[in-house]
Amino acid sequence: MADVRLHQIKKSFGSVEVLHGISLDIASGEFISLLGASGCGKTTLLRIVAGLEGATEGRVELGGQDVTGLPPEKRDIAMMFQSYALLPHLSVGENVRFPLRMRGIGTKAEQRERVAEALETVQLGHLAERKISQLSGGQQQRIALARAIVSKPKVLLLDEPLSNLDARLREDMQVELIEIHRRLGLTTIFVTHDQEEALSLSDRIVLLNKGKVEQEGAPDEIYSNPATPFASSFLGASNLLPATVRHSGGTAIAELEDGQTIALPADTAEGACTLALRQEDITLSDEGDARLTAEVATRVYLGARSRYILRLAGQELRVLTGTTPTHEVGSRVGLEFDPDRIRILPPETDKTSKDT
Amino acid sequence: MSDRAENLILALPGLLLLAVAFFVPIAQMLLLSVQGEEGLTLANFTRFLGDPYYLGVLWRTVRLSLLITAICALIGFPLAYIMARIGPRMRLWLIVLVILPLMTSVVVRTFGWMVLLGRSGLVPDILRSLGLAGRNFSIMQTESAIVIGMVQVLLPFMTLSILGVVSRIDTRLEEAARTMGCGFGATLRTVVLPLALPGIVAGSLLCFTLSASSFVTPNLLGGSRIQVLAASIYRSVTQTLDWPFAAAQAVILFVGVLLILVPYARLGGGTR
Ligand SMILES: Nc1ncnc2c1ncn2[C@@H]1O[C@H](COP(=O)(O)OP(=O)(O)OP(=O)(O)O)[C@@H](O)[C@H]1O
Ligand SMILES: [Mg+2]
Repeated sequence: MADVRLHQIKKSFGSVEVLHGISLDIASGEFISLLGASGCGKTTLLRIVAGLEGATEGRVELGGQDVTGLPPEKRDIAMMFQSYALLPHLSVGENVRFPLRMRGIGTKAEQRERVAEALETVQLGHLAERKISQLSGGQQQRIALARAIVSKPKVLLLDEPLSNLDARLREDMQVELIEIHRRLGLTTIFVTHDQEEALSLSDRIVLLNKGKVEQEGAPDEIYSNPATPFASSFLGASNLLPATVRHSGGTAIAELEDGQTIALPADTAEGACTLALRQEDITLSDEGDARLTAEVATRVYLGARSRYILRLAGQELRVLTGTTPTHEVGSRVGLEFDPDRIRILPPETDKTSKDT
Repeated sequence: MSDRAENLILALPGLLLLAVAFFVPIAQMLLLSVQGEEGLTLANFTRFLGDPYYLGVLWRTVRLSLLITAICALIGFPLAYIMARIGPRMRLWLIVLVILPLMTSVVVRTFGWMVLLGRSGLVPDILRSLGLAGRNFSIMQTESAIVIGMVQVLLPFMTLSILGVVSRIDTRLEEAARTMGCGFGATLRTVVLPLALPGIVAGSLLCFTLSASSFVTPNLLGGSRIQVLAASIYRSVTQTLDWPFAAAQAVILFVGVLLILVPYARLGGGTR
């Protein structure tokens, strides 16, 4: 049974439409990620599910019941805000207890127990007596998470809950989130612009682009088969190269904008297309006899690996390699890759979409 | 130069001005209040505190001031909340509307109330025609008239004090409360009200002080039968020419206001 059902949700602010008809079915207990660039409408969609924002058009159902006109307090949800929204006049413990108190869940003793449990979950049990203003940003974020899960709502809405944590804590919290989700089975909508987080946490990813669903599917499915250039560049940081495919003598050749060519599988359709190539699938060699060459624009040292930014046919190309051998900035390098790893996508319709 | 010394030097002109304009007059008043025929005396104080009439005046002053302050807070809080949450255009209009009365003199406004509240005035007329009041009914010369007039005079101070604080409350806190099961009323009570408290306290301090020391409105609307302390001081100064007694009354007013204000101000400061 679908726990959350969004039907053709449209939302306009003034004359600007920011959501253009989003439909989504989320099963009970599912962990779903809304993934998309900044400003694509993730928070707005979440607020519509919570009831904080009315949809201009469309219908919201929670647990089979039409809640479109229902105010937030009448919906069985909990939301964690991007800005945390902790109440500054209450202590940490009181903040976490707030939803239990206001919804009248449990006796005082039970409430205290659940507060302690939620604080333990985010590893901040020792801070219950503190004031909110005495917490660091990361601690505040975890308190906000504790406050969201404490009432065990039917639907948990998380707006970038881990964006402010250091790498280590972030991984801990991701594991914690998976644990919480497994233990409580809460239907969870998780907003993020971090594709790795979306890939590692969710049962299903919904990729949003400019107020529309670009693609949705299981993480491995959406990662290995991105349907559009946007999906491809957003998931896995693929390089996109516009090209034109021609057939000649039983082989397919893709010609780049600067005239260099790449051999493709023979069954590739002719015409304009976009070639997508993951940055980890490319290796660099000395210029020598390589068929495809590019100029090194920047080298970024990442510790175990190096990232090169290359210029090829007017496009920027990112390549992730080992640290040796090094290639000088300004030199030309050869590109090696397995032609089977190239994905052929429809031509890019809107160039700006991948830069946002 | 250390920070402390620098701060002190920067604050010095202000402190001097405060000393000259504030402490000197108060010291003078204190001095005057204990001056008798032969040397220092507390006679003026014992006269005031021993006379039921004057104690009544003091009690009325405190009681009315508290009532006026409470009514201002009751009207000012929702008004300020509406002003803070309404669109910027409407907010501007409402602020103008709230401040406008401050631009006419208190005397003129009070005369306005006298016309409205007097025996043949609009308000008693309406009450009479609704059958809610007798033929000789008048609000003038009653404590109610004082309260009505003073609330109108002081409401802007309360409203603007609260508005300053409420407009800085992040609306997302209210939204968060809604997602945690608070209806609109519960959100006001559990989130907005506690966070607005410093503004309410500041506004109340202003209202209480101004109303305890106000003279024109209570005197004109309450008449000579219903005296408040400020009016009584005025009478001592201008009619009986008993300046030391007037000073003693002023000291009592001053101390009384302080006794109420200091613990209350703590309350506001403590929540921050
Ligand atoms: N109250 C509002 N009034 C007008 N426009 C708004 C309002 N709220 C959001 N928008 C616009 O709607 C679009 C989507 O905003 P939203 O906050 O949903 O983005 P987001 O995907 O959550 O971005 P981020 O990752 O930066 O949080 C943006 O272009 C934003 O400018
Ligand atoms: Mg957002």
